[in-house]
Amino acid sequence: MTSSDEPKQPAIEVTRKELEQFPAPVLERYEIALEKLSGRLADETCQQWATEGLEIARMTVRSWEAAAEFFDASVAVQRQLPSGQFLKWAKTGTSLCEDSPSLAVAYFKSSPKAMLRLRPRYIDDWANVCRALYRGTWKSSALSCRLFEATPDLLETLSFEEFCHFGEFLEILSRRSYDQAGDALGAGIELFPKITGDVDRFINLAQIVAEKSWRETAVLFDSATASLVELGPNHRAPLISLARRLVITGVSDAAGMLRDGANTVNRVPTDTRDRLLEMTDGIAAVSAPAAPEFLKIVPEVLERVTFEQMGQWQLEGIQIARESDESAISYFKLESPRSQEMLDSLSSSIELSRVRDIIQMYCLALTGRAIDVQAAQQLAEKNIGWFQGELPTTEGTTIYMPSVINRYTTKDENFGFFKVISTHQIGHIEFGSFAFDFNIPSLLFDDLRPRLPGASELKAAKAADEAAKKKTVEKPQVVVFGHEPPADQAAAEATQEAAEPETPEFLTDMSRFFDLFQERRLALDVFTVLESSRIDGYVAELYPGVMEMYNIVRSAALESRPDVTELPAREALVEFMIRVSLDQVDDMIVPAEHKDAARKLRRLIRKITSIDAIVEDAAEASIRAYSILIDIDNDELDDDEFEQLEPEEEEDSSGSDDEDVVDPEEVIQQFMGQPSPEGEGEGDKEEGTGEQEFEGEGEEDYSSPQEVDYRGEFKPELSQLLSQMQMMESGEMTEHGEMEPITQEQLEEMMKNAPEMEMEQTEGEEGGDQQVSEMIENLMKELQKRDPENQQFQPGPSQHVDEDGGPLTATEPDTFTYPEWDFRANEYKPDWCMVHEKIMTDGEPNFFRETLAENQGLVAQIKRQFELVIPEMYRKQKRLEDGEEHDLDAVLEALIDLRVGVSPDEKLFWRRNKNERSVAVAFLLDLSASTAEAIDEAKKPSDDWGAPDDPVEYMVWLRSRRSEGLRRTYKRIVDVEKEGITLLVNSLEALGDAYGIYGFSGYGRENVEFYTIKDLDEKFTDIVPRRIDRIAPLHATRMGPAIRHTAAKLAEVEARSRFLFLISDGRPQDRGYSREGVEKEYAVHDTRQSLIEARQAGITPFCLTVDKAGHDYMKTMMEDFSYEVLSDISLLPKRLPQLYRNLTT
Amino acid sequence: MATQQKYNERNIEEYYVADEPFYVSTSDEIEIFESAYRQRVPILLKGPTGTGKTRFVEHMAWRLSEGIAKRNPNGASPSKTDEKLPLITVACHEDLTASDLVGRYLLDADGTRWIDGPLTRAVKYGGICYLDEIVEARKDTTVIIHPLTDHRRSLTIDKLGTTIDAADGFLLVVSYNPGYQNALKDLKHSTRQRFVALEFDFPDEEREAQIIAYESGCELETAERLARLGVKIRNLREHGLEEGASTRMLIYAGRLIKEGVSNRRACQVSVTWGITDDPQIQRSIDEVVTSIFA
Repeated sequence: MTSSDEPKQPAIEVTRKELEQFPAPVLERYEIALEKLSGRLADETCQQWATEGLEIARMTVRSWEAAAEFFDASVAVQRQLPSGQFLKWAKTGTSLCEDSPSLAVAYFKSSPKAMLRLRPRYIDDWANVCRALYRGTWKSSALSCRLFEATPDLLETLSFEEFCHFGEFLEILSRRSYDQAGDALGAGIELFPKITGDVDRFINLAQIVAEKSWRETAVLFDSATASLVELGPNHRAPLISLARRLVITGVSDAAGMLRDGANTVNRVPTDTRDRLLEMTDGIAAVSAPAAPEFLKIVPEVLERVTFEQMGQWQLEGIQIARESDESAISYFKLESPRSQEMLDSLSSSIELSRVRDIIQMYCLALTGRAIDVQAAQQLAEKNIGWFQGELPTTEGTTIYMPSVINRYTTKDENFGFFKVISTHQIGHIEFGSFAFDFNIPSLLFDDLRPRLPGASELKAAKAADEAAKKKTVEKPQVVVFGHEPPADQAAAEATQEAAEPETPEFLTDMSRFFDLFQERRLALDVFTVLESSRIDGYVAELYPGVMEMYNIVRSAALESRPDVTELPAREALVEFMIRVSLDQVDDMIVPAEHKDAARKLRRLIRKITSIDAIVEDAAEASIRAYSILIDIDNDELDDDEFEQLEPEEEEDSSGSDDEDVVDPEEVIQQFMGQPSPEGEGEGDKEEGTGEQEFEGEGEEDYSSPQEVDYRGEFKPELSQLLSQMQMMESGEMTEHGEMEPITQEQLEEMMKNAPEMEMEQTEGEEGGDQQVSEMIENLMKELQKRDPENQQFQPGPSQHVDEDGGPLTATEPDTFTYPEWDFRANEYKPDWCMVHEKIMTDGEPNFFRETLAENQGLVAQIKRQFELVIPEMYRKQKRLEDGEEHDLDAVLEALIDLRVGVSPDEKLFWRRNKNERSVAVAFLLDLSASTAEAIDEAKKPSDDWGAPDDPVEYMVWLRSRRSEGLRRTYKRIVDVEKEGITLLVNSLEALGDAYGIYGFSGYGRENVEFYTIKDLDEKFTDIVPRRIDRIAPLHATRMGPAIRHTAAKLAEVEARSRFLFLISDGRPQDRGYSREGVEKEYAVHDTRQSLIEARQAGITPFCLTVDKAGHDYMKTMMEDFSYEVLSDISLLPKRLPQLYRNLTT
Repeated sequence: MATQQKYNERNIEEYYVADEPFYVSTSDEIEIFESAYRQRVPILLKGPTGTGKTRFVEHMAWRLSEGIAKRNPNGASPSKTDEKLPLITVACHEDLTASDLVGRYLLDADGTRWIDGPLTRAVKYGGICYLDEIVEARKDTTVIIHPLTDHRRSLTIDKLGTTIDAADGFLLVVSYNPGYQNALKDLKHSTRQRFVALEFDFPDEEREAQIIAYESGCELETAERLARLGVKIRNLREHGLEEGASTRMLIYAGRLIKEGVSNRRACQVSVTWGITDDPQIQRSIDEVVTSIFA
């Protein structure tokens, strides 16, 4: 604090003195700065500088802080500025301080850093930009300060010009919300460095957004930070420009657009990105609001078509966009049928959902059973034993298919694949794979089944044997036994536990069959190949038309088969069987050692691939193939141990067709002694190769062959079990009589033994067990569903969460049950909904009277219209062949004709056609809660829910409401419905048509409320207007049952034409009937189905809705029915009679 | 009965079945018909369209004529038409009135002249009157047939004020198709209980193949495939199709095939497109066709 040695600078001294009266830091900093600056600045400048500082300090009470900052910053700033500019800088600060010392503080504080990036001539501008944010409030000053402070950071990436724009933007936004502006500032600092080059563009966009819909800015910055950053600079700019353009034309969701756009651009291949943005631009040029939809849907579209094809789709869309924005939007949302069709015709892939109905009907035609067709995934999700999500399969009642086929380049071929797999799968059903009966004799073989011992029989015998011998030795892992079943009583008793009575033990004949084998996996594989070959044989014979594609698919399947030489011996032979079954002729490679076995197997396949073979033949063939294969050790073989098998023709036909490929007696011997060489075996070669050897060392574990893709998964045991239930229902299994309910234990037993389950069980013991028990649980459920006792129809996989449960029974009076249509399962849920019919309570007759009085003009008009109808009823009908009297004109004509010698017209009569008008009509009013909505939002005063917050005001408001007698000051939809009905009823009475008025609402399927306002056969009395008065909004909209009930009522009335007039305010919805997603469609489909039923019953349905969004679902719901969407609800009273007249005459 | 001489003139509706109509029996319907005819019990033929109801009646008219001829002790020549059994077929439609069946006055140069309707003629001649699709006719027509179907065997002609007793050979045969199940178009019980009913359905696959082969002259293998197609399409009944493919349809397909039209195309034009207008069902049927026919 030494005083200066240059007293000729009075200002410095003065300043020093003056500054002493301020808090100490001011002077301290002054001294420090002075010391450094004095040498660098000219005296004059220095003095001006000091004076400036003093001025700042003096300006207001708090401005000393600014002064302190000023001194602090001066040193650094001075280094970067020439003295003229330096003073200017100081002056700017001073003027800022006049506005607010805090601004000045911020200014000075950030100056040293800012000056590094700011040209001196911009200092003023800079200060002004920041100062513009300041509006005298604390918040604005904070914002302004933040901008000052942020300047150095911002300027690192922004040019000064950009900075100014940003400031401008902040200013605009801050007019709306300082918080948003503050957030935007923060976000900007983060964002800008990442999108250098496009900052200005982005700021420009942000600015427009801030002007148009400032609330969106935060989201805009967020989504820009999240998505824009990932884009390359090439695509960022066009995207931002696009967004900007859209925002200008009124699309508010720029943020969403950026996000979706960035997302999409990132997902398409790099070389198509420019093109994509061009496309979007093209759309935006025609219809701005459609462009974001396009960007959003692109990934989905590209899943189905190539980029080039999408181009065509987009072009088509642009054509459509010229019509209207709405159609453009629905096109690019993939909602419009035209869009779907276009895409469909472009893409070669086929989705199951689009051909499902065709395939389903195809299956129905081929099998004569209502086969359901589902995506394979659905079966896997059921978790009842099928695991593959993409292989075709069946469980006997439903066939499961991959959800999309895109294997070939044309649609026809892809559809052809669908056809091939469905033909094969239903082949199992049509040609009776699951109708296997253990006791039915085969046609082509000597039956071995009855002569072979079952495994459990063997086990039982063994247990008996052990019991008899009173052995206490623990059971060995592998059942080793060779004895005949025991005969003596004691043993039999001892075996009671193990050997249960034969028949009930097996849930299915399939299970009983597989029980014959020790190596069930092998047996299943062999059976699968043979049975599939048999089915293919049938298909070839009966459906030669499908064979062209079938052969293509087969050769593809052959190509994807594994190399035989890689497989161990037994597997190689199974693979050989598959190849034979797939018609491979040449280049058949088999283990050299087992050529003979291969020949036998080939002969078996040939034999089974004939139109004469039945499933029992496949079973017999399996026994033979198994007996051949079980003798073959599954040894790993070298390549040179394989040899080519001669083609079939060259095979020496030592065994003619009539001869069995294996000696049945040997097979029996082999099976009897299956596991063990222990006893009786006479050293026979077959006997020597038993289980023990099979388990022996050096041998590979046998594993199942790779599935043949078009044949898919084949699970005969489970399928038979599941389809048995189905068949019982349709009475096809009656000879089996009553079937005992299946217990969980039985199922577990079956699952344990079923070879088709094995592969999952072996995957980790713990998890496997749990999985199995879950599966059993699911299977039980599935079986219960199919139990005819529970249900007449097999329900589809239900996705209703709270709509579970079975059919309902109408026990109370005036309740009725109706089925509901499940469009996913394509069938009815029987007795699914309960309709409670009630008579509407009666209210005051005033409404009726008042409405008529208020609408006198309209009443008269309607009357006139209807009066025109009446003469039509009695019009003379001329030129009839038969009638009341001769029509004089016609008779004269005829006489003349006769005289002339021309044959006369025979229609000489006329008749007064009294029956011309025989009309019954039921009006069905939607009384759902949504009808409580005001018909015009704008007219709705802040009534019910707009109650004032202030207690005093509230009381006033409440009183005024009460004084109005709680009358609404606005009209609700339901009020308009009431009006319309009132006017119509009034005129209908003059017309003499039978008519009924009903209302419906309800909650859940058990409570469909159905209100009678006037029954069809009821006379119009005073009570009807009183009931009309009570029409009021209630609950939900479950249309289906109400329509069905009304149709049932109409059907009882004798009339030549019957009409059902549905007046609704919107889409059907109810608990479990209409939630988003599938259920929304469910309701629409059910309603549609109920309308179809009505039409089938000779009723003409007509739907009048006031839902402005009605067109979208009405198209589906009312396809080829008549409907009308009223643009303005208030037209209803006028329109209703008109429609009525047009419709019924 | 005495009227027979007076009304000797021939009319075009009268139809003597000269050659044996091809008919493959599926059950005992021929025997039943013969017995019923001997007892003069009216017969109701039920069954979907194209199951051979009309052909059956023709066949029976021929067969019974043959029987009459054989029984004729004099061995008179069969060309003596009096001894044959005429068959008068009326296809009923919704505008068919009682006077269409009974007869009406026509204007003549000199005034009016009475013309017998087909039913009256059958009654007078003692032939089989076959009312095809009886439910289609107006309700008043069913009433006039009532007296003809019980012990009275008489026809009242209002306009003439006369009642005619049916000639001995007269028998009423009606048919209807319960397939269009419709409460409005069902036979009244008072009517239906006057008949013995024979149910007709499509013949089994093998027999149908024979019929198709015979009628169309196509190869047996083609006929077999056509018969299979018929069976498959009939599976769609009640699932979108109101009626299954008739044998007639399949025969037409067979004929086209014989003419050299390709299998698939022949089926498409004579079966698929004929049976339904629903594009989706058409597509499904087409798929069945292309599976069965290469």
